Amino acid sequence: MKSAPFEYLVPASLAEALETLAGHQDETKVLAGGQSLVPLLKLRLARPRYLLDINRVPELSYLELKDGRLHLGALTRHSALGREPSARGSCPLLAEAAARIGHTAIRNRGTVGGSLCHADPAAELPAAMIALGAELKIDGPGGTRLVPAAGFFQGFMTVDLQPDEILAGLSVPVAGPGTGWSYLEVSRRHGDFAIAGVAVWLSLDDKGLFRQVGIALAGVDDRPWKARACEDFLVGKEAKEEVIAAAREQLAGFDPTGDIHASREYRELMAGELFVQALRQAVERAANNL
Amino acid sequence: MTQVTGYIGRSVKRKEDARLLRGEGRYLDDLNHLKPKQVAFWRSPYAHARIKAVRTAEARELPGVIAVFTGEDFAPVKPLVTEIQLEGYVAKPQDPVARDKASHAGEIVAVVVAEDRYIAEDALELIEVDFEPLPAVVDVDAALAEGSSLVHTEVPGNIYYRGRRVFGEVEAAFAKAELVFRETFRTSRIAGTPLEARGCLAEYDPYQDVLTVWSSTQIPSILHLKLAEIFGMHENGIRIIAPDMGGGFGIKAQIYPEEIIIPFLARALRLPVKWVQDRREDLLTGVHARDHRYELEAAVTREGVLTALRLRMLTDAGAFSSFPFGCTLEATGGARMILGPYKIRNYEYDTIAVATNKAPAGAYRGVAQPSCFFAIEGLMDIIAGKLGLDPAEIRRRNMLSSAELPYTNPIGIHFDSGSYGESLEKALQSARYAEVRGEQSRIPADAGRQIGIGLACYTEISGISSKGYQSRGVADVPGYDSVRMRMDPSGTVAIYTTLTSQGQGHWTTFAQIAATELGIEPDQVRVVDGDTGLAPLGTGTFASRASITGGGAVFRAAREIKRILLRVAGGMLDDLPPEELELGEGFVRARGRKLKVTLREAARKAYEIRSGGSETREIPGLEVIAYYDPPPSNWSNAVHLAVVELNLVTGFPRFLDYVVVSDCGNLINPMIVDGQIQGGAAQGIGEALLEALEYDPGGQLLTASWGDYLIPTALDVPEMKIEHITTPCPSTEGGVKGMGEGGAIGALPAVVNAVNDALRRSRCWTGVPITRAPVKPEDILRRVGAVGAEGGDGR
Ligand SMILES: Cc1cc2nc3c(=O)[nH]c(=O)nc-3n(C[C@H](O)[C@H](O)[C@H](O)COP(=O)(O)OP(=O)(O)OC[C@H]3O[C@@H](n4cnc5c(N)ncnc54)[C@H](O)[C@@H]3O)c2cc1C
Repeated sequence: MKSAPFEYLVPASLAEALETLAGHQDETKVLAGGQSLVPLLKLRLARPRYLLDINRVPELSYLELKDGRLHLGALTRHSALGREPSARGSCPLLAEAAARIGHTAIRNRGTVGGSLCHADPAAELPAAMIALGAELKIDGPGGTRLVPAAGFFQGFMTVDLQPDEILAGLSVPVAGPGTGWSYLEVSRRHGDFAIAGVAVWLSLDDKGLFRQVGIALAGVDDRPWKARACEDFLVGKEAKEEVIAAAREQLAGFDPTGDIHASREYRELMAGELFVQALRQAVERAANNL
Repeated sequence: MTQVTGYIGRSVKRKEDARLLRGEGRYLDDLNHLKPKQVAFWRSPYAHARIKAVRTAEARELPGVIAVFTGEDFAPVKPLVTEIQLEGYVAKPQDPVARDKASHAGEIVAVVVAEDRYIAEDALELIEVDFEPLPAVVDVDAALAEGSSLVHTEVPGNIYYRGRRVFGEVEAAFAKAELVFRETFRTSRIAGTPLEARGCLAEYDPYQDVLTVWSSTQIPSILHLKLAEIFGMHENGIRIIAPDMGGGFGIKAQIYPEEIIIPFLARALRLPVKWVQDRREDLLTGVHARDHRYELEAAVTREGVLTALRLRMLTDAGAFSSFPFGCTLEATGGARMILGPYKIRNYEYDTIAVATNKAPAGAYRGVAQPSCFFAIEGLMDIIAGKLGLDPAEIRRRNMLSSAELPYTNPIGIHFDSGSYGESLEKALQSARYAEVRGEQSRIPADAGRQIGIGLACYTEISGISSKGYQSRGVADVPGYDSVRMRMDPSGTVAIYTTLTSQGQGHWTTFAQIAATELGIEPDQVRVVDGDTGLAPLGTGTFASRASITGGGAVFRAAREIKRILLRVAGGMLDDLPPEELELGEGFVRARGRKLKVTLREAARKAYEIRSGGSETREIPGLEVIAYYDPPPSNWSNAVHLAVVELNLVTGFPRFLDYVVVSDCGNLINPMIVDGQIQGGAAQGIGEALLEALEYDPGGQLLTASWGDYLIPTALDVPEMKIEHITTPCPSTEGGVKGMGEGGAIGALPAVVNAVNDALRRSRCWTGVPITRAPVKPEDILRRVGAVGAEGGDGR
């Protein structure tokens, strides 16, 4: 379990990183926290010619509240989402989801950008970003483009990112009055990838009606799965148990695969159960927040 | 109550911890003083395939590659043959590197030696092998089916071993039976997967003709003897050293092809050569265990007393009968241990070890005991459920009482002491059994959560002697252990032993024994373990033996040193005879008189460091060798009691309580014993709820990383209440019994019984108990109808 030979490149700025990437195109892999890429290198499942270590690119490390949104650089570590008061306070869903990623050592190294670009369908952050309606900032030779999280994930571990592009960061909305959230998942052990996970980010109006609803599921499709029909169903309706139960009836269309850890049927069942529990919890929090 | 004698019976702090916890341990991977060349193995991607050609020319050309070897190069090496002297056993020699065909995925086909491991692995990619794939046999039913493909032509019908025995009047008992119960229990294939995987370093000194091998092995003595035989060397030309070890669990108590290949390369190339196993190799080729099926049939009275038991047992041995215990280890183990603490007088077994195209099975903590007690303890609960008996009550009705000891069971196993009933009652008390039963009954049957209590009562074989191995036909396991002990002129002691310590704490426990016998402090005793160049040959640390066999040898060596010391001291104290002297607190004193010499003065005298001599001296020095071959077999006993709460929405169990009552005779160090119990139980909990090596139908291992092979973390293991009953063994030195495996034996049955007990309380229970481990959350939901009957995984 030793990686194949590669050349190690350490750019000191985003411009340098993009330039290097443009020069080597397909033969290069970006290295962020390394928590997914390094195992792949060791198993020789990934064998890039160049490894572009972006850890020293200053433009990719930031965490700030601006214009009513939380802005995160791609290099923001999973653990920072729970540790940094500005992140935890403004976007508690991210803290809750990040707490379920692997173990402390992994959360201290793994990055938000890496998790999104790696796009494991069972990963926590991609689902949370979709529920939040995150906006991704992608830099490439042609400049910067903004992509909504829901459109970024295109298939099994496939994302809307060209070989000469880098995910620079993203922004998410912050909690206000009436905001509720929940991330729940079932995994064999704490720290394992989810058998099924549900991320909810919603807000209630002062009459107790759903004003805005974002729901995404992890582990039940080839990519993080946005529960669009349920979201649409809920908006404008009263936040009560019967409505949540009715929304569950709308939960369909995802396509889980069975594996050694859980059958398709069990994943489906858990998705439904967690969906209800997560919505309940989010509504309760939103009501307390009004 | 724990018996305290000197330092024996006290929770002395582990001498090894200061070093190990600071990261100052020296494991195999740390041994780089020789600047060894590194090895990587080209392993078969096929479970079963004929090898037509191996092309290595390109790999040899790669800069940094020193040599590439294939099967033919190992022709001069005698193949490894596991000799088991039992009727019905077929031996199949194993080449260290496959020559004609590969018979499991991961079997070695070629070997690269290079300047570093990176280059070695680069070279692996340049090797080409032409295979002709053959049908792979990956489960026991397929292997036994008429006309099945053969794993080896030398193993007819894929049956490595079949043993059938009848004890007592089984036919008659079944003919008269009031009730007959039949049930099948299965356990999954699992791995011991120690945190430090295996590894090997070898150096050959042609001037002295000495081969030194460092191996992360639990059996340096057995490896020593076998390498001498395989290479045709004198035993005196070999030294085996087992460095610090990060776990073994029995996995390192086998001789593996790599342990032959690495020394062979060191001799052939006249270079130091090293290989460190990675996790993939560990899961792919470290011996696997369990993968058992127990088909039980019991004749039972209406009162729940078992009058006869029939067992048909199938074990999946994998492709080779691993050395030295052989594939019979589990097949005879499960069949012989299953009667446990119960008075079943009529018993019959038919046990088969089946060859398949999977990695070889071998020793893993508890060997067949977790699975056989899973079967019998599961059956007890099923019978109790049908008869409306409390699980504790059915056990009482079948269990040996202390008044009935000593007792010889129908197989001929002799139990000389124990506390089966007492342990059960103590466990029930400690868990507030009646109260929890009450709590349990107050939960409505249609609730989304249920509580269950699981019991496991078991006996544990320990300290197997030379006769014990002989009776199970194991030819290459001596059965005794040994130490060399030296008290130096300053009065401190060193103990040299080939027994290894991969977590057992022998530095501490052996020091406690020696210190107690010699009246010194444990800190004045140094234990040097795992080195055949410094210590006499013995057997090794596995199968709950070292405290009996190694401890016994320490007792004997210390007494001999004491005898010499007292004679020497007597010469210094008015020629007093030894009976009038006593040893303690660093002095030799005359009983009832003021006369004394320090231990140090006596020790110096024994060495005659200053000329002059003394007539009382019989041999110069204070250095002795002691061997200990324990009495035929020694059994400890214990009870595990698990209380779990099932979430019937997600299927997840949660521990509410976990109690262990253990009786391993006199305890040397209670803290270390408790640690062994907790660690073992953690592994048993893994076996009950998480662990399974899964193969696809083509014989590919699907769980070749710790991402897919799930072992319990600290979060999955409950805090345990551990209590002891002390029934000293009448026949071993110090009255000790072994217990290193016990934790792992009791957890599997206790946990699964608890899950079943909880399921029974649910109105939605399908009436079918879970009889297969591990129990996944969805297996639990399946039993309450929340998930469809039989899933795609065939459960
Ligand atoms: C034992 C273990 C358990 C884990 N458990 C979980 C878990 O439960 N849930 C979970 O979600 N994850 C888990 N992970 C993975 C972890 O979250 C990773 O940190 C994450 O998937 C990838 O982030 P990274 O920063 O480590 O990225 P890297 O491993 O460095 O990179 C991952 C991929 O993303 C690309 N990439 C990274 N950053 C960028 C960027 N800015 N722009 C373009 N491409 C980029 C890389 O080229 C690579 O292809 C686990 C990992 C381990 C080792």
